[in-house]
Amino acid sequence: MSDADALLVTHDLRREYHMGEELVRAVRGVSLSVARGDYVAIVGPSGCGKSTLLNLVGGIDRPTAGTVTIDGQRIDQLGDAAATRFRLRHIGFVFQRFYLMPALTAIENVELPMAEARLSREQRVRRARELLAYVGLGERCDHRPAQLSGGEQQRVAIARALANKPELLVADEPTGELDARTGAEMIDLIARVNRDGTTIVVVTHDEDLARAARRVVHMRDGVIVDDRRQDAP
Amino acid sequence: MLAALLLAAFAQSIDSTLPRRPPRSIAIDERLAADAHIGIGDRLVVSTSPGGVGDSVVVGAIVRRRADPSEVARAEYRVIMHLDELQSLVGYGDRVDRFAVATRGAGATDSAIRHINDAAFGFQAYRSRDIAVETSRTFLVVSRFHRAIGVITIVASAIFLLCIMLLKVDERRRDVAALRLMGISARSIVRSVMVEAALVAVLGSAVGVVLGWIAAQLINWHYRAVYRTPLAFALVTPSIVGLAITLSLALGLAAGLLAAQRLVRMPALELLSGRREQRPRFG
Amino acid sequence: MLFHLAWATLTRHRSRTLLAMLGVAVSAAMLLDMVMLSSGMRVSLRNLLLSRGFQLRLAPKGTLPFDTDATIPDAGNVIRVLRAIPDVGAISPVLGGQLHVAIGMRTITATALGVEPAVQGDYEIVQGRTPAAPNELVASDDFLRASGAKIGDTLSGASGYDPQLRSLTGRRTFVLVGRAHFFYMPAEQRAVALPIATLQGMRGADARDRASLFMIRARDGVDVDGLLRRIQAALPGVTAVSTETAMRQVDERLSYFRQLAFILGAVSLAVGFLLVATLVTVSVNERLGEIVVMRAIGVARSRVVLQIVLEGVVIMLAGALAGLVLGLATARYLNSILASFPGLPAAIDFFLFEPRDAWRALGLLTVAGILAGIYPSWRGASLPIAITLREEAVG
Repeated sequence: MSDADALLVTHDLRREYHMGEELVRAVRGVSLSVARGDYVAIVGPSGCGKSTLLNLVGGIDRPTAGTVTIDGQRIDQLGDAAATRFRLRHIGFVFQRFYLMPALTAIENVELPMAEARLSREQRVRRARELLAYVGLGERCDHRPAQLSGGEQQRVAIARALANKPELLVADEPTGELDARTGAEMIDLIARVNRDGTTIVVVTHDEDLARAARRVVHMRDGVIVDDRRQDAP
Repeated sequence: MLAALLLAAFAQSIDSTLPRRPPRSIAIDERLAADAHIGIGDRLVVSTSPGGVGDSVVVGAIVRRRADPSEVARAEYRVIMHLDELQSLVGYGDRVDRFAVATRGAGATDSAIRHINDAAFGFQAYRSRDIAVETSRTFLVVSRFHRAIGVITIVASAIFLLCIMLLKVDERRRDVAALRLMGISARSIVRSVMVEAALVAVLGSAVGVVLGWIAAQLINWHYRAVYRTPLAFALVTPSIVGLAITLSLALGLAAGLLAAQRLVRMPALELLSGRREQRPRFG
Repeated sequence: MLFHLAWATLTRHRSRTLLAMLGVAVSAAMLLDMVMLSSGMRVSLRNLLLSRGFQLRLAPKGTLPFDTDATIPDAGNVIRVLRAIPDVGAISPVLGGQLHVAIGMRTITATALGVEPAVQGDYEIVQGRTPAAPNELVASDDFLRASGAKIGDTLSGASGYDPQLRSLTGRRTFVLVGRAHFFYMPAEQRAVALPIATLQGMRGADARDRASLFMIRARDGVDVDGLLRRIQAALPGVTAVSTETAMRQVDERLSYFRQLAFILGAVSLAVGFLLVATLVTVSVNERLGEIVVMRAIGVARSRVVLQIVLEGVVIMLAGALAGLVLGLATARYLNSILASFPGLPAAIDFFLFEPRDAWRALGLLTVAGILAGIYPSWRGASLPIAITLREEAVG
């Protein structure tokens, strides 16, 4: 696959930062190419740099060196405002701890990125309801996060991430705070999102989630040590 | 006719040989001395109408006004003259506006008042203290006004203090939750918060007393210059300091108690998770 | 959406939000009161001085009207000189004094104003009529209450008291023809008004052809300051005072209240600012995770800041509205204290509400609310997303 066909391309990506006196090289020259519609799981032991790589790929962190290109656009050089606008329209985020706005209802949480993208209220509400129905929470639109279980909150988070129809969905340990059964449901949902056309990059310790991906990238000490395709179950 | 003229001429010659009466001295207040650039030894003419005929006098002294609250807002000038000269100048005759009488001892004052009021025609004797009360009415009004402002300020401070305590205690709810899960009793936590609140209150009131004292000095310096008076406008007394510290301590402790009790009322796990209702993470 | 999020965040912590609003309300009330105090007396005095249309006043040399017991001699000549100035419209001479009225075995003493009833500007008739004859007078409610007199009654009055003879001097019989409201009298002041010639005659030699004050109305369209200068030049033995001059001099004497108003107003604003700043800071610190996630999902920094600043502004505005009601109530109470100043005309208010005062206070509070929220919100919205998320996960 050439870089031209890929949705996400990183080239010799590096990220270093200081922790006290120590210089931490979290990502040490990662070059990665993800095709449109692919489903990639990045795995590795704690501290291997996989979350840092995800942050760089998602545009919420800037690399010390190297490039990140998404859909032909270099995002590593974008200023803060431009990077934010890019994330709004092209990248969806799912976090381990959900990070829903506790003061808003489920539907309002999903509406938030669409409001930022200047969709009309009518459009936002309609799409938010569709998305919540898509993730299986059609009946819980008006519930606040405190009234939802962990799994339900993560579903809302996925719906929020899909609000502006991003090309790329990045997820950092999406099943990390869920029990086995709920985690399995989440894995199915993420797979469905991928089948419906969204390119997905997840970082995970969860072997089941890694197995559900089409491609698994192993990292250790800030570099990729293995990268293999696998058949989706 | 010739005899009369001679008498007149003789009288005149006698008159011219008598020494002229020197001008009598007056005292003026320092405000007048400063504004009109008058000094001791200057000769002036005092009269009862502008530009009118009057008496020639010499400035014998410059006096400072007393710290009298009833005079502070009046921008008038004061001149002190010999009584008979002023009586003559204003055509008062053998009259005065009042007598000030000193007595020996409180018993003597009561007795003097009684005797004077029984015997006198057409005037009344009063204690100086009673007159002071009457002439201080303006400052009683100002005093009441200040007290009202003070009360409003205290109420506002109490609300502010309570709000801040609630916020600060709320910020540390996870720490408090962890302590309680470890086995530290709610009572210990409340006591610790109140000790903290008391320390903050005492330190705060110490800083406040210093700031208040500085502000009082500034106020006195400013208004003494504005009104040209030695009067003290703001006084920081031991009782005021005591009241301020007591009040802030009481308010601080009350705010700390309310905030801490609110915190320990919630179950520790709820404090930790931030969720009001403990729901399982399953399903 | 941002306003909704700000409102939802505030209502999530109800007691904290309500308490902060209450704190702001008290600060706002104090601020409004101080804004009212800084201009109220001035406006109130101005309205009083101009209420009858007299723009100028003549007082004894070097004094303010009724500041001392001094009087202006040659009142007749003063009036002649004034009438010769073409721009002078109306002239109202006033002589102050006392009237001792015998009621049975008692004597009621009242402040007496000798006026020209046709041009006077010191009272308005509430019941009855203004004096038309030399032996007629009108009286205030307090006098009527104290004396028990009614309109139509005959009263025996005297202008002075001889302490040697223990007797009243300058006695005269009057008919009470009207009940009047006196503009410049303090509350609960017993006052009467009678023709000036009558009072001059009663007071004898020391008041013959004398007046305490002249009030002058300029013709329409006349430059009042120019007229004042011409009058002063024509009558150097008196002090001519325009409304502005009188207000300036009273301002100087009561500058204390203006300065107090400024200082307390500034302190109130600072307290409100601190309260909101603390609340916003704590609120931001508590939800750093939410804030950086908003940035992560694509909400612009400026809009995150706006949402947080809105929280502060909502508290300020809600507090300000409550403070408006509280402020009007406390202003009434404070005004009732200051209105008991001895010698202060009852018509003077220290706290006078004008809508522009409320707008001014509201504007100041809004600006303070915005400024209070800007720094903590900008700080929160500028945190590096990845590092903050990692720290939040660890914390």
